[in-house]
Amino acid sequence: MLEAIGLSVKINGIPVVKDSSFFIPEGKITAVIGESGSGKSMTVAALLRMLPVDAQAYGEICFMGTDLLKATDEEMAVLRKRKFFTIFQDALNSFNPSVKMDRQLYAFSAGRVGDDQDSFQKKMKAILGKLNLSSEILNQYPFELSGGMLQRCMIACALYVKPALLIADEPTSALDKVVQKEFLKWLRLLNESGTTVLIITHDLDVVADAADEMIVMRKGEIVETGAVADILARPTHEYTKRLLDSRF
Amino acid sequence: MTVKWIGKRMMLGVLVLFIVSFLSFFIMHASPGSSATAYYGGNAQTLTAAEKERISKAFALDRPLPVQYGAWLKQAVQGNLGMSAGVGRPVASILGERLPNTLLLFGVSMFFIIIGSIWLGMTAGMRPGSLLDRGLSAFSIASSSIPAFWLGILFIYLFAVTLGVLPSSGTGSLGGDGGFVDKMKHLIMPASVVVLTHVGLYARFLQESVKAELGSYYVMAARANGVMEREIRRGVLRNAFIPYLNYLGVTIPSFFGGSVIVESLFAWSGLGQLLVRSVMVKDYPLLMGGIMLTGLIVVISLFVIDVLMYMLDPKLRKGELGG
Repeated sequence: MLEAIGLSVKINGIPVVKDSSFFIPEGKITAVIGESGSGKSMTVAALLRMLPVDAQAYGEICFMGTDLLKATDEEMAVLRKRKFFTIFQDALNSFNPSVKMDRQLYAFSAGRVGDDQDSFQKKMKAILGKLNLSSEILNQYPFELSGGMLQRCMIACALYVKPALLIADEPTSALDKVVQKEFLKWLRLLNESGTTVLIITHDLDVVADAADEMIVMRKGEIVETGAVADILARPTHEYTKRLLDSRF
Repeated sequence: MTVKWIGKRMMLGVLVLFIVSFLSFFIMHASPGSSATAYYGGNAQTLTAAEKERISKAFALDRPLPVQYGAWLKQAVQGNLGMSAGVGRPVASILGERLPNTLLLFGVSMFFIIIGSIWLGMTAGMRPGSLLDRGLSAFSIASSSIPAFWLGILFIYLFAVTLGVLPSSGTGSLGGDGGFVDKMKHLIMPASVVVLTHVGLYARFLQESVKAELGSYYVMAARANGVMEREIRRGVLRNAFIPYLNYLGVTIPSFFGGSVIVESLFAWSGLGQLLVRSVMVKDYPLLMGGIMLTGLIVVISLFVIDVLMYMLDPKLRKGELGG
């Protein structure tokens, strides 16, 4: 589904991701794990071509036959709209505070696939119901909802558009354990409906709970990749072993 | 919009006007010289002490200041602003003659400042790093640094003295020979000076506000998810307008104060010029009336801005900001 070959990211000439190669298999949940500053979020920003102004990416990122680093802005805009869905860490700030939720959820879901208001209302209310959210939230503003509710709203949009690739950048770090478990349940549901998931996290419990494959990053380099069950049972790199030890 | 909210804002406006009247009354009476001077009609040197005392008694100027203020306030709330000490006519009638000119200058200037700053600020803010973006920063510094009186003198020299295309001073009259065209010709220079010395600062404020919004987390999330740029920009502008309106509200009193200089420079027959003259001749009843009318215009402008903010900012409507 997605393959990075020799991916490097430099900010003002300083490397933050170094010559990294990895593969995201289709239909699986892949987790990228590492401590803060390991280059996880910069890798995602490179995939989305949304790097900071002073950052530059090198190498190749192949997604369904397109090299994302060489794609035009128009091609990337189409991919972001048609194939990707991204959930960020800070759900509260992911929505415009002055715009009601129905308008924003429409833009994040039905607006992408070209549905009209009527079908959006019907479909979205059904999805919100599944996620234990009242349809009354459509008439509310983001600041009237909790972080967990807003993160579920993001998942609702992803369930609506059923993207080819869902990228979730630290989606559970601002959530409590109960809401986190719920969130991962919906992530798996989305995955079961055919969406490939790439989850960025520093939490090994999240990886163990939700992911099939994992990529371990440290100081901008990939130190270990493989199936979650294998790595958790037989870690080979010292850093991965330390990560596992710190879990218990 | 709730009746309670409107009532609260109106009460606040009344309180502001009361404080303005109180401070103005006591500060003007604390200035050097007698408040009776204007009543002497230029005969201060020839009047005897007894005649001066009689005048003071006649106009109740011999009473303690708090009593004088109380009497003035009692009349003012009934709509009676008293008689002008210098002109000998009702203050309300004199102000009524000048008010349309001030409102015309203030309204036209404000209209072009708002239209110009919104257009410049939005266009420049939406294109970070563009020539317009960088150019507006330089224009804003120039616009806010040029003193109004200097620009006014330059305009008079250029357009009235050298080119002779515009009148150097005066207000023009709608009923006169020139009619509407003449009035507009008289308005062009003072309004242009007010607009040019203010528009850059307001435009810069909006430009920075738009740029800050474009860098917001929600814009990144929307762009990452292929939300239409038109939709994103609409949300950005709505949010950028909230601090812009707030800034407009905060600066309206000083903006209004600044136009007094322009009115005097171009002999524009408005409240500003009247206030300056009443200070010179110590015509306190007229000065108090002028200050209160100016205060009322500012309070009404702020109320309109508050209503717009209320409509734009849902946090204000939902009471999150204690509105």
